[in-house]
Amino acid sequence: MQLSSKTYDANDISAVQELYHSSGWTDGLPIVPPTADAVQACLEWAMMPPDQLIGIEPVRGLAITAEKLAINAVMAGCLPMHFPVVVTAWMAMMQDEFLMHGATASTGGCAVLVVLNGPIRLELGANGTFNALGNSDRATAVIGRAVRLCLINLMDVRPGVIDRSTLGHPGKYSYCLAEDEEDSSWLPLHEQRGVERAASAVTVMAAGAPRQLMNEWTTKPEEILETFAAEMRANLRHYSIHPGNYALIIPKQLREHLQVAGWTKTKIAEFIHARARIHRREWAEVGKGAVVRDRGDSVYPAMESPDQLLVIAAGGPAGGFGAVIPPWLGNKSHAVTLPLGVCVDCEPPK
Amino acid sequence: MTFRVLDPTTEKAPPAGKLAPRLDTLEGKTVGFISNGKEGTKGFFKHLDQMLREEYGVAKVVSRTKSNYSAPADKRIVDEIKSWDAVVSGLGD
Repeated sequence: MQLSSKTYDANDISAVQELYHSSGWTDGLPIVPPTADAVQACLEWAMMPPDQLIGIEPVRGLAITAEKLAINAVMAGCLPMHFPVVVTAWMAMMQDEFLMHGATASTGGCAVLVVLNGPIRLELGANGTFNALGNSDRATAVIGRAVRLCLINLMDVRPGVIDRSTLGHPGKYSYCLAEDEEDSSWLPLHEQRGVERAASAVTVMAAGAPRQLMNEWTTKPEEILETFAAEMRANLRHYSIHPGNYALIIPKQLREHLQVAGWTKTKIAEFIHARARIHRREWAEVGKGAVVRDRGDSVYPAMESPDQLLVIAAGGPAGGFGAVIPPWLGNKSHAVTLPLGVCVDCEPPK
Repeated sequence: MTFRVLDPTTEKAPPAGKLAPRLDTLEGKTVGFISNGKEGTKGFFKHLDQMLREEYGVAKVVSRTKSNYSAPADKRIVDEIKSWDAVVSGLGD
């Protein structure tokens, strides 16, 4: 397998780190040296030739090849088995409706939330329980980091260059989680979004930082979900009124109350759609009176329709916590779910 | 131990656009504005419009606003550029 990338010789591991940091090729953390062997192993695992075109970035016309994704995946710490997930995440991000350029360049400073579903989670040891939105496991850590390093190096999404984020958030290092499908009676996210349950899938969403909430003083679904809806209303008031994809992360303790009472993801989404909305006049209460104008009675829902809500079962077994993950900027970007590619008659590249 | 490592960047500049010929004067010309529609664009372009007409003798200013401020300009706006002598594309952040 012939790689086409330019090579550099470095005398030792420190020299590798300094080369990559000084060239602006990292996120500030040390990288794994992307040697030809390591990169070829990723490509072989995914059965992709190095020059396979994964897509053309729609705004600046940049060609994204398998070889370049693999180099960045190795740098992030990916093993070959992680690489197909990185490729699928990128294919999803390059769909027009994701609006990758806007979502990664915006002053709004969102990150790409990557959600894993299906058997691949178990194969990779991705953990959807304890610390699900933090450093929960190796797989989600390196996959999320690979997505960011690819943005940095393939699209110049560097702070102050294409990335114009005012603040950004910690998810820009890595923002990947697996759904806890084993301990949930709900449809997994990918099935809810039209992918076969037996398939593995990746969902990407241009997402703000998680907003954590707590309500351990009730078992009633309506009261539990009212806390989630209130957090969304706070986002509508304090951040942006644009409706779009919100994600709810519901850990086991609160999830069990909902499931015992027979609440499906669809029913949850319908309730949230009805409750997570504000009047424009409420902005006056939070210092934004100047933009209320004569439209104070207008109502702004958090989602245009219930199916814009991504309900995800994840989190440790104890604690009446949950999280709302808001969209970057409403419908400017849409979440995309893609199944991991399956090739029944592929041969490894020569 | 020596490492031979690979370049993680695209190594190719994105396809570059070509600048239109520069104008010697703005006198009697048509200038197009492409706004992203954010709040800050209003005052900026209003002032620039006045300046171009009053101080530089611009004959006509055409103002257009993108339908999505985070996406490239709409095709209908890009198609219109041909009929302008110069373009000002401004952000409102």
